[in-house]
Amino acid sequence: MCLVMVACTPAKPVIDEQMMRIDGGMPADLGGSWERDYSRGDDVNQVLRDIYYYLSRTSGDRAYTTRPGPVKPSSRDWQPISALARLAELITRPQVLTISQNDQEITVDRKDDFSLLCAFYDGVAKGTESDYGTEICGWDGDQLVSHLILPDGLQVTHRFTVSADHKQLRVVTTVSSNTARVPVTLTRFYKKFERLPPDFNCIETLSMKRVCSTGEIEL
Amino acid sequence: MTRAARFLLMAIVSSGLLQYPAIVHSRDVAALSVSIAVFDPGVPDDRSLHRDLQIFPRIRGVEAKFLPFVLRETLVESGEWGAVRVVTEPDEAAEVAVSGAIVHSDGERLELRVRAVDATGRLWFDRDFSARLSDSSQADLGDTRSSYQPLYDAIAVALREARQQLDDRALERISEISLLRYAVELAPSAFGQYLAEDEQGTFTLQRLPARSDPMLDRIERIRLTEYVITDTVDAKFRELHEEIASTYALWREYRRKSVEYDRQNAQRAQETQSDAPRDSFDAIKNRYDNYKWDRVTAQERDRLAIAFNNEVGPVVEAMEARIAELESWVDDKYAEWHRLLEELFDAETELNRAAS
Repeated sequence: MCLVMVACTPAKPVIDEQMMRIDGGMPADLGGSWERDYSRGDDVNQVLRDIYYYLSRTSGDRAYTTRPGPVKPSSRDWQPISALARLAELITRPQVLTISQNDQEITVDRKDDFSLLCAFYDGVAKGTESDYGTEICGWDGDQLVSHLILPDGLQVTHRFTVSADHKQLRVVTTVSSNTARVPVTLTRFYKKFERLPPDFNCIETLSMKRVCSTGEIEL
Repeated sequence: MTRAARFLLMAIVSSGLLQYPAIVHSRDVAALSVSIAVFDPGVPDDRSLHRDLQIFPRIRGVEAKFLPFVLRETLVESGEWGAVRVVTEPDEAAEVAVSGAIVHSDGERLELRVRAVDATGRLWFDRDFSARLSDSSQADLGDTRSSYQPLYDAIAVALREARQQLDDRALERISEISLLRYAVELAPSAFGQYLAEDEQGTFTLQRLPARSDPMLDRIERIRLTEYVITDTVDAKFRELHEEIASTYALWREYRRKSVEYDRQNAQRAQETQSDAPRDSFDAIKNRYDNYKWDRVTAQERDRLAIAFNNEVGPVVEAMEARIAELESWVDDKYAEWHRLLEELFDAETELNRAAS
């Protein structure tokens, strides 16, 4: 089981140096517009139930009871996981992802959230650092991995995998923290859709905002 | 006169070098001409640093062309200088050569490193100038110059103070050496012996050519011709300034707001530090949101930079193309003048030798 694996595997960086290097082009093309496929993917309540079941069978509190069988997880165990699940659900809420990709950069635009950015300079991924956190990215085979490290051990990882026919995208989001015994992982699926070709060519400008024309734009 | 010399003189006449009036030698010695080179945009070679430093290379490129013109306007309006020109490359032979680099520019604070050297190689100053926008200066977006005007005024004062350290003789010497340095570049055989340069790059006069020296007269005429082109290039900088000034002011205003948003994000992060347990939903969401708003602000800044480039890019490209044409013309002519003058000098030397 995935939860057991995560809990038992020795700590290993989510993204190592090798993953942050690309030789030549990007290993996969994730570009395009993707809309959520609600018929597939995890239900956060089911994920929580699985974790509850796992904790109840592995809880340290079992030592304090002679009663055989599962033990209700302590609030100390349960509260951080419940919080992580709420955050994971919030982060994975966007209905549409717009991914732009070229030889150097991949940008994942998400409504009501910041865009994930993975930029490579001379083939090496450059992270984003600020007072509030660090974002690094890389390729694990043909999976794009984005890893956000926030204060107090809070971490958010997204793994993007595109299907062979380029019609589906799987996004596995894992949220973990130092205080939670296990991370919470939610999988979402997206289907590719083509935006209608625009009747107008448009560009953003500062003084005139969005400028559109049926022909070539002249400012 | 040999046929060859006559032919060369005809070539010079036909190339337009003799169409300008002789240079006027008497002038206010303090009114030195100033050449301001397009600034170094201050963009690190390492592209991976640009985002961290909030540097937008194309916008810095525009600022590097735009800001020297504002300095030029300040100096011209002071009425204390001779011709003040913006040039694309540092003019080594200029009476006063001003160069600069953009150290910081974020809409709220502008910092320039400015260096001024006179034609003798004397360093006037090499230091940083910075100005921060006051709230009141933001009110007038139409006047792009006034926003950082204290910075340009400070540079103008520094130039004036440096000049005040020199007496009339020294100022006159600057003009003479400036012309001779130009002459040496163009006709080293004829003028090489008039100047000496020491290891520090300081030029001293060995002797002066005669006022009636026909070669010097030609050099002055060529320099005037080059100034006509330089002034045309300078006019292109003026056009650029006029065309993008309001957009640039808008960009700077957005950048100022972005700096303000950064401050607000920091304040919000400080204020929303809750007393809730650090593994509670409120606490972890707060940590996520702090990062989120910081990134949203940065990404909005990137979007505005693209919008700025979209708007001013065509204007800048057109200007660069026209300047490249003019400079290419000057380079071609310069090479031609250089060859003609050297040949003419040889022909005249030959003639003088034959006559004596």
